[in-house]
Amino acid sequence: MKDKNDSIGNPISRKKFLRVCGSAAAGVAVAAASGVLLRRTLATPPRYLWQIDPAKCTFCGRCETSCVLPVSAVKCVHANKVCGYCDLCGGYYRTNAKELNTAAENLRCPTGAIERKFIEDPYFEYTINEHLCNGCGKCAKGCNSFGNGSLYLQVKQELCKCCNECRIANVCPSDAIARVTHDKSYMLKDG
Amino acid sequence: MKKTVAFSTFTLKVCSLLPALLLFVAPVGAQRFPKPDFESGYEYPELRYAMPSEQLWMLVDVALLVALMSLVAWAVVRRRTRTPVVAASIISVAYFGFFRSGCICSVGAIQNVALALADSSYTVPLAALLFFILPIAFTILFGRVFCAGVCPLGAIQELVNVRSYRISKALAAALGVIPWVYLILAVLFAVTRSSFIICRFDPFIGIFRLGGDIGMIVFGALLLVAAVFTGRPFCRFLCPYGALLSLFSRVSVWKAKITPSCISCELCHSACPVDAIRPPYANKVKESRQHGVRRVLRYMALLPLMAGAGAAALYVASDSLSQTNKSVRLYRMVAQSEVAPQDELSPELEAFYGQGGTAQELSLRVESIQADFRRYSAVAGALIGVVIALSLITLSLKRTRKTYEISDAACVSCARCFDYCPKNRVKATESRISP
Repeated sequence: MKDKNDSIGNPISRKKFLRVCGSAAAGVAVAAASGVLLRRTLATPPRYLWQIDPAKCTFCGRCETSCVLPVSAVKCVHANKVCGYCDLCGGYYRTNAKELNTAAENLRCPTGAIERKFIEDPYFEYTINEHLCNGCGKCAKGCNSFGNGSLYLQVKQELCKCCNECRIANVCPSDAIARVTHDKSYMLKDG
Repeated sequence: MKKTVAFSTFTLKVCSLLPALLLFVAPVGAQRFPKPDFESGYEYPELRYAMPSEQLWMLVDVALLVALMSLVAWAVVRRRTRTPVVAASIISVAYFGFFRSGCICSVGAIQNVALALADSSYTVPLAALLFFILPIAFTILFGRVFCAGVCPLGAIQELVNVRSYRISKALAAALGVIPWVYLILAVLFAVTRSSFIICRFDPFIGIFRLGGDIGMIVFGALLLVAAVFTGRPFCRFLCPYGALLSLFSRVSVWKAKITPSCISCELCHSACPVDAIRPPYANKVKESRQHGVRRVLRYMALLPLMAGAGAAALYVASDSLSQTNKSVRLYRMVAQSEVAPQDELSPELEAFYGQGGTAQELSLRVESIQADFRRYSAVAGALIGVVIALSLITLSLKRTRKTYEISDAACVSCARCFDYCPKNRVKATESRISP
């Protein structure tokens, strides 16, 4: 028994042998796994950005509160080519508005982010002031309920942190937020 | 003017009855009003949306990752000096931490890779894959150089560390199991597409982003305060990626070594913030090698026992674990509302029925998710059992050491020991003078 032990060598060299085997095994395993995954990754177009599909969005208001940023990266955008330019705008005025003027109690937007400009009788142009918009989606809900749905929510890509797991997508009731390919970084209604 | 107001309030009253109906019939706004034909020559404003140049940033990220890891590897393995490691830490905290807001990160990439390995329909983003693989490749070659100062989570703790109070062996061994359990659970929740818990419970991301979940910011701040007094509490007792890298660094080809001309002054041992340097130790227990091997083999009987117990425990708990999955939660809501219909639907149910979902179709989907959960939970439980059993068995191994030795798994290549080693300093000075 003792002789046999000696012929193998001391425990140090055994340790060394095991280590070399370990390095080789780890190297091969990592190379194989990364090879498989890399091939798959390179074969499909990258989906890195998060975006809201306006066809699925239900304007639940969670975009405003669930984003990891202090003010959500989701903002309302306005498709002018879809808009009816109505005077009585379901996105601009509250449903129970007493009078149709710009007093805050009559307006739907809680931050006053929707600006309106008279164009010609009876048309008004609506514009979103992005710095004020908090992505609550109240106007979008109003516009989609009563109007053409030209107001809708989108993730502003220059603000979005591209979290590995979008906190809003986690709570989105209609699974409207998903990773999109680069060419679909905005899902705009006016083509 | 008066007339318009009267008309419009009427319309609004009618409309106020509609929304509930409309949301079911047409969740997307239809073209209710025609396109206006302007007579004043109005033109539609041109809207521009900033397109991010993610490709470019990814390139910068990966290039910097490789550059910093190479720098640290050179400093630790070749030069045996600490200054470049500190420089790398500062760059990493500034760039990967504050500038890039802590995303992308290798620790979180575990989940993407695990999900991709389990589910072939999912593809890992290239950046996540590279951030997962490259540090492992460097670890196999040079030890945990990524942990040293390239990972912003490790770097921020490294930079605030002042004292290295030692944690008792028993406590360190018990806490050392947590990263493995965290890793196993993170993979479990990732492969079942439930939640990325590593990203969710990242303690430092709130600090990097200067805002976020207040609970996590407080936790991160507490960890940083602890990191002042003891080295890297997050890396040692929480980080799942550190656990993974410790596995690879056991077999790494080159790595930080004790100065060959060691004079056993113990300075490196007391300087090591993560307690990775083991002092010489004479094993007092007289036990023949054969006897020792037999004893450890007997303990190994514990392995299948613990694995079985863990598997059984998590299998039983799999139903409650599956509640983290969005579809499973939705199914519970749907089932509740089918039994006792509510007047006001929650946004989830509204969206579910709005998209024409049926309870049957959902229940099929949820059943397959729960089956996945049962299967993967059993595996996860078995692995947790193995981890606990192995760490218990390791405690019973007492090896005689003649010199100071670096524990390869624990060493994070922070290079503090080099600064404290008197022999290393002499050598460094000589090499600086001689050329």
